Amino acid sequence: MKIALLSALLLLALAAAPAPAPQTAPAAPAAAAPAPAGAPDAGTPSSAAPATLPQKVDPKLFDEAWTLYNTANYKEAARRFYAYVEAMPQTDDNYPWAQYFLGQSLVRLKLTHAGAYYLARVVRERANPLVVPRALDGLRELIDLPHDETMVDEQVFAALDLGSVEGETGDYSNYQQGLLDLRAGNERWANLHFDKIPKGTVAASRARFATLVTRLKEFKDAREVNQELIQSFWDLGHDMKLSLETRNEALMAAARLRYEKKDFQGALDAYAQVKLPPLDPGQATLYLEEAWTRYNLGQIHASMGILNTLNAPSFRDEFLPDKYLLKAMIFKDLCHYLPAKRAAKELTRKFAESLETIRTRDDLTRDLRMVRAAAAIGSTRRAYRFYAALQLEGENLGRYAGSFGDRLYGHLNRLYVLAVAEAQRVYEARLKESVRQEADKLVRAAEQVRLMDYEVGLKLYERIKRGSKITKDIEEPPLDPKEVAFPFDGEYWNDELRAYRVSLKSRCIEGAQE
Amino acid sequence: MKEWIVSAALLLPAVALAQAEELENPGRVAAVQERVYRMNQELSLGIGTLPLDAFYKGFGPQVTYTFHFSDTFAWQIGRGMYSYPATTSLRQQLERDFGVLPTAFEVVQWMAGSDLVWSPIYGKTSFLNQQVLHFEAYASIGGTLIKTNSQFRPALDLGVGVRVFSSKFVSYRLDVTNNVCIPLKFPVVNVLNVPTIVLSVALNFGSPE
Repeated sequence: MKIALLSALLLLALAAAPAPAPQTAPAAPAAAAPAPAGAPDAGTPSSAAPATLPQKVDPKLFDEAWTLYNTANYKEAARRFYAYVEAMPQTDDNYPWAQYFLGQSLVRLKLTHAGAYYLARVVRERANPLVVPRALDGLRELIDLPHDETMVDEQVFAALDLGSVEGETGDYSNYQQGLLDLRAGNERWANLHFDKIPKGTVAASRARFATLVTRLKEFKDAREVNQELIQSFWDLGHDMKLSLETRNEALMAAARLRYEKKDFQGALDAYAQVKLPPLDPGQATLYLEEAWTRYNLGQIHASMGILNTLNAPSFRDEFLPDKYLLKAMIFKDLCHYLPAKRAAKELTRKFAESLETIRTRDDLTRDLRMVRAAAAIGSTRRAYRFYAALQLEGENLGRYAGSFGDRLYGHLNRLYVLAVAEAQRVYEARLKESVRQEADKLVRAAEQVRLMDYEVGLKLYERIKRGSKITKDIEEPPLDPKEVAFPFDGEYWNDELRAYRVSLKSRCIEGAQE
Repeated sequence: MKEWIVSAALLLPAVALAQAEELENPGRVAAVQERVYRMNQELSLGIGTLPLDAFYKGFGPQVTYTFHFSDTFAWQIGRGMYSYPATTSLRQQLERDFGVLPTAFEVVQWMAGSDLVWSPIYGKTSFLNQQVLHFEAYASIGGTLIKTNSQFRPALDLGVGVRVFSSKFVSYRLDVTNNVCIPLKFPVVNVLNVPTIVLSVALNFGSPE
């Protein structure tokens, strides 16, 4: 009877108060009555092996755990909430709350996957309509971190009917459901979900971005993409509701499309709009693409400067075979044949092991350089980040072995072992495909470099004809009064990475007469 | 003749080495950036000291107004400093034990002047590998009128200073200046050096464009 009264008061309090606190919690932790003599204390760690069956618990254990949670003692709170969840039937009024607070305690202990597991359970079971929106909010806060996409995005946000959920969580749910339809190739169904998202919200902008990316796939050749689509990407790149990362992705998409359509100046404008956080080194691909664009615009000194950027320690391990090719091309254009030859050979020298792996048809996933490159892109990157995060959390779990007690620790240990195994499987499956793409890229670059090496060899031994003279140099832009030059002495500064310029004179000879 | 041959023999490998280096690694690299901080009209408020005189130390506020013609050249149109004298124990001893009159000590009360400022050094430095601080260093030359407790004295001043930029509108200056008073009663040479050290906050107004 007391329990029923407690639960009724709890529900009333929850309905009235913004905080999800079961207000019937005891006044102070000290007042929380210990388990009656003879009754087992499920929360106390036991040195004995965990019993097969969970021990019975006093319903007051929930109040005790709740008090501990409110005093930020998440370790002890998690142990008690777990004991409660394990022992009580699912029909218990506090059962979903216990799951919810167990999830939140684990999230606060940086065991986000375990936390997400319990929050997702609350949403899937839907035992208490008051807890579900809070659990969804909790899950939404985790989506920017590496997380289990299947468990959170697909099985919760995309699969469940969450029509009653409003606000940002509801918007995100509609976005995920639309995204799932887009991936399945059904844009019409996707739009039904996207249309439910209020205009001007973050989710609406993300939905627009997802739609644009999907539409891109309709074009077999990037040169066929219409201006309207490019403009849409450009507009999204300036949509401040999107995260900086997504805005940059949109701008880079616009830049790439303009580049393919040979609108190099437009592409350069888009690359220039890509904003980096202060002192952030940025992405190697951004620099390399900008270097190619500038090369095509005839700005070879600026292009060479960007290639210098790619030698910075932040990018030394990047997989950029194109870099050597572009460097060789610039040197060749300025008739610096020896450096051109050396730049061309540098590619085959640096990637000798990877090229050998490809040639001998060995397992590409054993080549560390290519694996690192493949793990840095797209869905493989996400899978790798989640796999790495799980491993780290699994290791951190050991710190709580004592305070969690055998049962919770053993349970979480099994949870993490299974999750790590699954994350590894997903990562390896994606890696296999990504590493092939990287290998293709390397082989293409190596072929072009060999051709370049041959052409440079011919030029190197070309006979200089009588009357030849040195060609006029490509003029380097003079220093603007607003500008300041810091000569490079081998020390890379992050704030200078986009500003290097190389002064290089042409050694070409023209006007030959027989 | 022999010396010429020896010199040539010693120099030629160095020249050849330089050429080989140029062939191997051609080009020079520089980071060309837009100057982040540019000054236009500057009002600075500071606090300074006159630390040199053995008989008193001066402390007081300083106000300046500067117009920057370019990033390297400026005219500090007006500079005014008030000095509150704090007598030293030496002066107190002289007055107390040896009956020296207080009027015997020449004490600076205030000074005003104008200077030309040349700032050839603009740079940046890293703070704890987390933040980039921009600074400039400059030299100044100008004239000062010094009011002492007994007379007005014209002076020529030479100074150096450093400015650390905090934002486009706020910077901090440290100025070290020596005012050399020009002797007026020839042939009596009565050179008075009045060095000042001033730490100030400078507010930048207007656009340099």
